[in-house]
Amino acid sequence: MNGSPLVLEPVFRLGPVPITEPVLVTWAIMALLVALSVAVTRKLSLQPSRGQAALELFVDTLNGQIRDTMQADPGPFRALIGTIFAYVLVANCSALVPGIEPPTAHLETDAALALIVLGATFYFGIRTRGTWGYLKTFAEPTWVMIPLNIVEQFTRTFSLIVRLFGNIMSGVFIVGIILSLAGLLVPIPLMALDLLTGAVQAYIFAVLSMVFIGAAVADQQPGQPAGGGQPRGKS
Amino acid sequence: MTIDWWTLALQAINALVLVWLLSRFLFRPVVDILAKRQAAAQGIVAQAQAARAAALEEKAKAQAEAAELAANRSAAMKAASADVAAQKAALIAAAREEADKLRADAESDIARARAAGQHEVADKATDLAVDIAARLLDRLPDEARVAGFVDGLAQGVAALPDEIRAKLGADGAPLPITAARKMTDGELSQCRDALNKALAREIEIEASVDPALIAGLEIHAPHAEVRNSFRADLDQLQADLKRHDEFHA
Repeated sequence: MNGSPLVLEPVFRLGPVPITEPVLVTWAIMALLVALSVAVTRKLSLQPSRGQAALELFVDTLNGQIRDTMQADPGPFRALIGTIFAYVLVANCSALVPGIEPPTAHLETDAALALIVLGATFYFGIRTRGTWGYLKTFAEPTWVMIPLNIVEQFTRTFSLIVRLFGNIMSGVFIVGIILSLAGLLVPIPLMALDLLTGAVQAYIFAVLSMVFIGAAVADQQPGQPAGGGQPRGKS
Repeated sequence: MTIDWWTLALQAINALVLVWLLSRFLFRPVVDILAKRQAAAQGIVAQAQAARAAALEEKAKAQAEAAELAANRSAAMKAASADVAAQKAALIAAAREEADKLRADAESDIARARAAGQHEVADKATDLAVDIAARLLDRLPDEARVAGFVDGLAQGVAALPDEIRAKLGADGAPLPITAARKMTDGELSQCRDALNKALAREIEIEASVDPALIAGLEIHAPHAEVRNSFRADLDQLQADLKRHDEFHA
């Protein structure tokens, strides 16, 4: 890693479109996830194998998390939340592959995911409450809060971006620095820690996505914050 | 720090495409198989509930049938008990009737046997009395067997109604007189005199002998009979004994 991680150099170009490394890695992750999904779901049966049971456990746990966090049917949100979690998790773990830099260590990937969450918040909020009903939520609890609520939408999206980016990028930096200073095996504990950090960040990103979207679709009750009382804080 | 907007856009598109791909190839199949399994489980539960309901219904039906059988059995037992009681009562009544009949027959037999025995005893007593009387008479003078009874015979004739007495020895017909032994001429004369006096006319006597009289005289006419003998007394005594026994039997 010789250049600044904050500057992306195109690997090649498709016409005017520069194709950078995070895009390529993301494509590889997409291919991997789709291939695994096809391989696993090809022979689903009512009497599950161990792999199918693990997959069903994952989906069932995901449904439970969505149901508990958003207090809503998990059907409309399952694909988005599950995909975000799976992609972020695999992307964070891609640092284990030599020469590969996690896409989530770049701001563009995190911003893309956060913007998708922001768009999903608007989409599900409007679909659930209607346009006017959703806009009225910005005036809760009083109209004085409208500017703060609008700002909150973007600040929490920004915090979502920066949280993931900072955690993953810092891990990559630390491993790179130690690898350049010490021997080959020294960064291994830090890489293991990065795995843990990556898993935790994937979970946090998915949970916060559920909280944000759930706050948009949940019925506002007096004296109770949006999102079913889930944390809004930053990690 | 710069942002590569092309990369941001491509990553956003990639993420959206990945959402669709995983929804198509991962989540939907898994959710479908979960729904199928849940439906199958619900089907099994429904079948189990239906089977349970059917089993409960069969159980209730069996219990009802058992109760009905028990009721029928109880009724049959009651009917059988009633029949048995009726048959028992009939048998007891029949046995009692039979026993009463047997007892009546036995009592009748006993009475007949007793009567026969008493008759036999009376006969024996009579025979014994006759024998005793005969033995005692043997010790008396021979005249006493006739002479002592003449007056009694005359009194018996005198006690007869007048029309009867008028027919005794009428028209010259001899009056038959039976004695325990052959009467002497004196005894015949004494007897004739006594009867003439009792009938207030003259009659003839036709004497005959019957040792069964033991002692005494008897008249056996067609229209009257006068007995004045030990035999008559014994017969009278025997008849009295019979009446006494029959009265106390």
